[in-house]
Amino acid sequence: MTMKKRSLKNYTLRYLVVAILAVIALWAALFYWYIIEEVYDNIDDGLKDSKLRITREIKASPELLETGQYGIAQFRFTPLPGGDYSKKTHIYNSMMYMPYDDDDEPVRVLQSIFKENGQYYQLEIYTSTVEEDELLEDLLTALVVLYLALVGSIILINHFILRKAWTPFYRLLRQLQGYRIGSGQELEKPYGDVREFDELYGELRAMTRRNETIYTQQKQFIANASHELQTPLAIAANKLELIMGEGDLSEDQLVRINDVNQTLHRMKRLNRSLLTLSRIDNRQFQASETVVFNDLVQESLADLQILSSHKNILVSTENNGSFTMEMNRDLAVILLNNLLKNAMVHNPEKGTVNIRISDKELSIYNSGETPLDPQKIFRRFYKDEQNPNSTGLGLAIVQSIVSLYPPLSVSYRFDRGHCFLLHK
Amino acid sequence: MKILIIEDEKELVGVMQTALEKENYLVESASDFHSALDKIVGYEYDCILLDLMLPGGDGLDLLSEIKKLKKKDAVIIISARDAVDDKVLGLDLGADDYLAKPFHLAELNARVKSAIRRRKQHGEQHITWRNILVDPENRTVRVDRQELALNRKEFDLLYYFVTNPERLITKTSIAEYVWGDHTDQADSLDFVYSQIKNLRKKLGNAGADADIQAVYGVGYKMI
Repeated sequence: MTMKKRSLKNYTLRYLVVAILAVIALWAALFYWYIIEEVYDNIDDGLKDSKLRITREIKASPELLETGQYGIAQFRFTPLPGGDYSKKTHIYNSMMYMPYDDDDEPVRVLQSIFKENGQYYQLEIYTSTVEEDELLEDLLTALVVLYLALVGSIILINHFILRKAWTPFYRLLRQLQGYRIGSGQELEKPYGDVREFDELYGELRAMTRRNETIYTQQKQFIANASHELQTPLAIAANKLELIMGEGDLSEDQLVRINDVNQTLHRMKRLNRSLLTLSRIDNRQFQASETVVFNDLVQESLADLQILSSHKNILVSTENNGSFTMEMNRDLAVILLNNLLKNAMVHNPEKGTVNIRISDKELSIYNSGETPLDPQKIFRRFYKDEQNPNSTGLGLAIVQSIVSLYPPLSVSYRFDRGHCFLLHK
Repeated sequence: MKILIIEDEKELVGVMQTALEKENYLVESASDFHSALDKIVGYEYDCILLDLMLPGGDGLDLLSEIKKLKKKDAVIIISARDAVDDKVLGLDLGADDYLAKPFHLAELNARVKSAIRRRKQHGEQHITWRNILVDPENRTVRVDRQELALNRKEFDLLYYFVTNPERLITKTSIAEYVWGDHTDQADSLDFVYSQIKNLRKKLGNAGADADIQAVYGVGYKMI
């Protein structure tokens, strides 16, 4: 299962939005509870105070006991039938009709029972109180506004502050995306106040420099090794040639020396191919000109004529357009020669080679029975078992040349024969 | 005729010297930049074989010196560097030819002969072997003064043989000299055979006093 990846900025935001919601909800519950407690506490104090005043007032004016209905006074007395009553005071919430807005409104009522002149009375005092549902509603509205304001400002802050803070990071990232080993390009130091990004830059620069050095050393090693092999190879091969020219050898000795000589020359070709590869990879073919592949194909075919006529291969060319490239001429020659030579060599006796050229494509088709593995043929030292003399580098060289000149590409497919396609 | 080999690899100097002395050249050698410069300044040579990587300096600088001294010596660069740029630069600086290491001794012979012949302003411009006369400049062949028509490859083949007469030339060497780099395949040696067969037939029909003999399937020798 793959998680949908988010940008860093949205990553924290997602959690913040949920967390703030939870915090605000919890805070609202506590705040509400606390405020209500405080309000009731205040109201109750007032009610108790009223009760005290009223009970005192009764001593002076007992006619107050006659107040049987709530009037202006907001209290009433109800004489209770005989019996024993608890003198406990209750305070509770209730609803009461208020003519001013023609509706029941919440009230806080204090209910107390006391004895006056041997008669039990129930005293009820009310006072208007908060409408809890309206309070809740108001509170909720306020909280929603607060929440939105918070989230909005966090998004804005996140956007601007984080964007500013992470700029060096994204700049580094873009440089890394465009980074190719061997190009020798240095990472630019991104400006910013974040220490971690400076450290990241420092480490990345050290790493790329290390890699560049290793890469250069390796390339240099291949080039040097190939160079250094040339002279000993020359000495060995030439000494054998001298021996062969001396003339007092038996046939068997001569043939055996020649075998060794041929092996040395195979090594020489291998070595040259490696050198060519390393020169291509080291971009030592700098000069560039407009190369018309149609013409090069004809030149190359003329060079290879000895091969094609020897195997009685029928070669045909279809020019449906002009395939031109801005590139190094020597490389273009190597590229075409390798492809065409391949088409001749991996071809049965009396086979065919068909070259089709258009403005965008150049295809080289040759007869063949067994498909090749398109994944492997362009690799270095991938060898055709039937041809022990092949260096296994021809198509690797083709691949190396092609990759120097994007958008040029080369591909292979099998369609009742081998087909190599150059595309630009 | 005198040849100077400028090369720091003693073994290679040895084989080159042996091969060239067989062709009756007088061969001297120098193994570093300064001794090479001394010899160039002090003596005249018909041909200088110049390695580019030398102890004490770059072979291309030696080449510039030779040209500054207005020497008539033919110069063939012999290098393991085998880089296109070196080749172009060397030829631009006035080298007569460029031979990449490793090379066949027969090819060295052919190149040395060509270079010396081209340098000689008033001398013999043709190469003759018995009654065969080869004119490399016009790419024509005469047998007993009768012109013999050869195609391009056949001419190259004959030129290779007349510059290396009575010597065994291996098939690999022939294939590389005449057909260049395209011959690195197993069946390349077969078409050397068919090409030689054609050349022999033409030489025989023209009455040439020379024969190309196969030597045990290893190579050929013109006698």
